Amino acid sequence: MSAVAASRVMTDPPQTADASRAHIRARDVTVDFVLGGRRQRVLNDINLEIPKGSFVSLIGPSGCGKSTLLKVLAGLITPTQGEVSVAGRPPQQAAKERMIGLVFQDATLLPWKNALENAAFLLTTADEKMPRSEAMDRAAAMLRLVGLDGAEKKRPSQLSGGMRQRVAIARALALDPEVLMMDEPFGALDAITREEMSECLLDIWERTEKTIVLVTHSIDEAVFLSKEVHVMGTGPARIIETLPIRLPHPRTEASHSDPAFTAAENRLRGLLIESHKRKRV
Amino acid sequence: MSAPSSADDIVTPQSWVSVFRKLNAVLPPLALSLAALILWEAAIRLFNVPTFILPAPSAVVVSLIENRAQLAAATQATALEVLFGFVLASLVGIAVALVIVRFERFGRALYPLIVLFQNVPKVALAPIFILWFGYDLAPKILLIVVIAFFPVAIDMLAGLQSVEPSFVSLMRSVGAGNGKIMMRVRIPHSLPHLMAGLKVAITFSVIGAIVGEFAGANQGLGYVIQFASTQLDTPLIFAALVVVSILGLIFYYGVELAERILVPWAPKFDPIHRGAQT
Repeated sequence: MSAVAASRVMTDPPQTADASRAHIRARDVTVDFVLGGRRQRVLNDINLEIPKGSFVSLIGPSGCGKSTLLKVLAGLITPTQGEVSVAGRPPQQAAKERMIGLVFQDATLLPWKNALENAAFLLTTADEKMPRSEAMDRAAAMLRLVGLDGAEKKRPSQLSGGMRQRVAIARALALDPEVLMMDEPFGALDAITREEMSECLLDIWERTEKTIVLVTHSIDEAVFLSKEVHVMGTGPARIIETLPIRLPHPRTEASHSDPAFTAAENRLRGLLIESHKRKRV
Repeated sequence: MSAPSSADDIVTPQSWVSVFRKLNAVLPPLALSLAALILWEAAIRLFNVPTFILPAPSAVVVSLIENRAQLAAATQATALEVLFGFVLASLVGIAVALVIVRFERFGRALYPLIVLFQNVPKVALAPIFILWFGYDLAPKILLIVVIAFFPVAIDMLAGLQSVEPSFVSLMRSVGAGNGKIMMRVRIPHSLPHLMAGLKVAITFSVIGAIVGEFAGANQGLGYVIQFASTQLDTPLIFAALVVVSILGLIFYYGVELAERILVPWAPKFDPIHRGAQT
């Protein structure tokens, strides 16, 4: 067994040796969009490795392609060049096996269904053979996990923005995915609700041990939640730095005043300002 | 007297409030109509307007009563045309929208033709339909379909295509194909839009039936109007108009009732927004 491991170390470049633990991997990913007949590079040469059970944020100025990268990882966009794998499979395959749960900025709930039916909706769409009662039970359990017990029968129009987003998270979790991919999930919420939701998400991550990829433009959110932050820059869009967040767990409100928090925050701010300046030039 | 009164006898303050609100909604338009009718009646009597030019409301009422058998038969004929025509127009409109969305390439070819066709004055088609299909039900139904399918198709189309792109992404992320997205998201999402189209279509259907009867018929309210005009029986024209209006109103509220039952999540349409009311 050690011989096998040794031979792998010998033949493979060093970073792929521990990449066997990488749950999500992007290698040399480039995405070109054709807009009005003109070819435009949206992502340039992205290399990314996200270990299983990690919480990773993608942060960067608007237009840096972070949402596009998330869509590539989720298999919604096929890269022009390069390779992506989720749990060792192509992302489309992983999605079909219900390994990827998605949450967007808009909760996108169906207005004709109540909270419980909405939370079960993707599950019943993905697996039509699953008995309805089982899907509903799983959805109800996830609604409890996101702190929405008692609101099962409410329609989206009767829920607040934060509660709607909780339903969207429960809907993604009901798939029991290995990876939760979120694109600015709290972007449309007010500051206090945002913090509440951050703590809720941290709690979910600690309890379920899912791999979470979060796209955000909030430095505070990225530092508070992540184990690792990938900072993206523009022109051409790429990852300019990967910053590990060495902030002890469990993280609470008090973590905000931890010196590690402030240090990471300052470092990220510096990187973002720099990349923003370069964008203007 | 001292018998214990049951709970049903007690009128709760809430029910008083709701009764008052309902009265409040009904009374002003009723009072306004009544005032207009009185003014009309007074003007006819005061200026001695000949009945064949403009009959007084009382003369219309008399005509309504005298001709009730003829009007009832005509109403039945027209109602049947409207009903068949409306149902068929709705089905055609829905089908057109589904085809345009499902077969995109064909849809691109079809859509401009439909818009072009919409600009053909439909009333002018009525004589052709009479020529082709005679004086029976068929030409009226066809005319209604031609007039009323368009708002259904356009609104349904808008509904099918107004699904948020992120929802489509979500469906794709669990491996759902176009068919599944259509059945589970697009079609239910389009229902409130469809109902809005149906409300327009039902009023168009009544117009279509009357126009069809004008062009050539031996029964129906449109026929009664045309026949009465050749006789200079103006009160009967007005009586038939009253009946047509009531018929249209009943059909319209029928569709609205269907909307409340079928799509309770549809946003409530309030033509006069009352900001102060909570």
